[in-house]
Amino acid sequence: MNQFISLALSNGVPLDTLILVLILPIIVTVIAFFRQVVGIKAFGIYTPAIITFAFLATNEIRYGITIFITVIIFGTLTRLLLKQFRLLYLPRVAIMITIVGFSILALLIIGGIYNRTGLASVSIFPILIMITLVEKFVAVQIEKGGRAAVVLAIETLVISVVGYYIASWDILIRYILHYPWISLLTLPANIFLGKWTGLRLIEYFRFRQIIKPR
Amino acid sequence: MIQFFRNSRKILGMNARNLEFIRPNNLRRAKRLADDKLRSKRMLKKADIPVPELIGKIKNVDELENFDWAALPESFVLKPNRGFGGEGILVVYGKKKNLFNVWIKADGSLVTVDDLKTHIRNILDGSFSLSGVPDIAFFEERMKLLKLFKPYAYKGIPDIRVIIYNKVPVMAMLRLPTKVSDGKANLQQGAIGVGIDLATGVTTTAVFGKNKLIECVPGTRLLLSGIKIPYWKTILTLAVRTQEISGLGFLGADVAIDRDLGPVFLELNARPGLSIQVANHDGLLGRLRRVEGLKIKTVEKGVSVGMNLFGGEIEEEIEDISGKRIIGLKEKVKLIGKDEKEIEVEAKIDSGADFSSMDKLLAESLGFSSTMNEFEKLGIDYEKIKGLEKQDREKFFKDKNIPDLEDTAIIHSSHGTTYRPMVKIKIIIDNTEVLTKVSVIDRSHLKNPLIIGHRDLHRFLIDPARMAK
Repeated sequence: MNQFISLALSNGVPLDTLILVLILPIIVTVIAFFRQVVGIKAFGIYTPAIITFAFLATNEIRYGITIFITVIIFGTLTRLLLKQFRLLYLPRVAIMITIVGFSILALLIIGGIYNRTGLASVSIFPILIMITLVEKFVAVQIEKGGRAAVVLAIETLVISVVGYYIASWDILIRYILHYPWISLLTLPANIFLGKWTGLRLIEYFRFRQIIKPR
Repeated sequence: MIQFFRNSRKILGMNARNLEFIRPNNLRRAKRLADDKLRSKRMLKKADIPVPELIGKIKNVDELENFDWAALPESFVLKPNRGFGGEGILVVYGKKKNLFNVWIKADGSLVTVDDLKTHIRNILDGSFSLSGVPDIAFFEERMKLLKLFKPYAYKGIPDIRVIIYNKVPVMAMLRLPTKVSDGKANLQQGAIGVGIDLATGVTTTAVFGKNKLIECVPGTRLLLSGIKIPYWKTILTLAVRTQEISGLGFLGADVAIDRDLGPVFLELNARPGLSIQVANHDGLLGRLRRVEGLKIKTVEKGVSVGMNLFGGEIEEEIEDISGKRIIGLKEKVKLIGKDEKEIEVEAKIDSGADFSSMDKLLAESLGFSSTMNEFEKLGIDYEKIKGLEKQDREKFFKDKNIPDLEDTAIIHSSHGTTYRPMVKIKIIIDNTEVLTKVSVIDRSHLKNPLIIGHRDLHRFLIDPARMAK
């Protein structure tokens, strides 16, 4: 085991915390890569990162995905419902969080009825994180419209799932515990990404009609 | 495959737009100006740029309560000061008769003072502004739709987006509001973007929404190409001038055309969208690179550089389809005479003449002095020769053995009928080589030393409006 790791462990830093902190740079670099090179936007960098960790904190990823999708569906429905009332921003978000919260509660109960106890035993923090996702969702709806918000939510889900599999990849974790400094390799990688001016993969598709040789 | 990469290198993507063009050219101060509609309106107005007249503004709830609603005109536009993407804009078209302070929207629905108040409260609260900061609401005059655009636009007012870089207009498109976009001229919201040929101001190809190519207005058979935008040069000049005033090095300028006022400047854009490339069927990056580093001193120079560099696509298209070159009434041509002697002259394109005809001096410079001398020595004119049949004439000249005399011809012109010698030369018109025989006559009293007749024009189309290059 690496000296740095054993130093941290012997001073009472939990192993899980260590792994999460070391793996975080890799997750956010992947998100940056998705944005700059692939062109998948998602809700910025914070939301997909935090959702990734919410997924890690649920016992099984399918429960995480189920909760996520429930939040988006009820977020959209509530928005359509509230549209006619023309409410101001914060009260509107508060109502949405309330309704989404209750819908998650209902989901957990329904899970219990069908003997999906794993769903009900998901700890409170990942659930809270995903409920507050609604605010981001509403903000994007106002800024870019309902359809764009749903697209961005799906993109966030995709990136978070990719992030989840990277963060729970045994070989990577073992390497990182042996050589914690490889986590810092993300710095030059991000400098490269930050200077990258090439077309994003999605843009090759978006501009295919112009690119196509005539 | 190589073509694929070459084409994709001409396209401006998000990464390059942000890092190479917006960041270094649009400083934060200029960006803030562009995001503040009221301030940019004031600034542009001071510089004599025509902008929609400001009717009134509401900065806070107090002002909202004390606002004199009766003072509002029959039609107006209500906007959030820091709105973007066309969000939060309310347009009314007229006042309802018999009712006090009730206006009508484009779809016929009514707007009361209470509706306006709710909308304005939302604006003040920042519901439509970037990152939700509190905002100001303002009323401005509504533009009146130009007759020309009436069949193309659904409800709203079309506008013209021009991308300006380094004082040069590099690309432009006409944005037409549709049913999908709910009368807004924003491509993101489903408006139509139509590419514009910068040299002529004539529309070319069109895109519906972000990347669906179309030819006609959806649901109709109205062609989108070939619309000639009025006041074209004025619009480009306006756009370049606002770049100077605003300090935005990489600018998307929105100009509308009012039925009575002509071109009116609508909005500055510090982060212009990329779909304009699809509408124009061309990449921006390629064009930006060509303009980069040019030293443009005046607005007029910038406009003409843009028109020259990024126009003429329509002509190229016609040339592609017909296989013929487009030329004007005056063209610079290159003549290749005896012993590859080359001379460049301005020729008049004269489809009324059969043969091309050139001045005697020009023929001599092309190496035909002895031909001319010996022909003149014979002292022949039309009166003497008119009795002879064609074969006899040919035989007569063959016997005389005049060097390089290709043929002779009787030419009828407005100055009378003459008998002329003809020589064989090559004429290069717009990079196209024509091997032909040309009659020679003294044209020193005429403006052009060379006219090109229709026998040499089979491979060309003539556009009288085209200027000589």
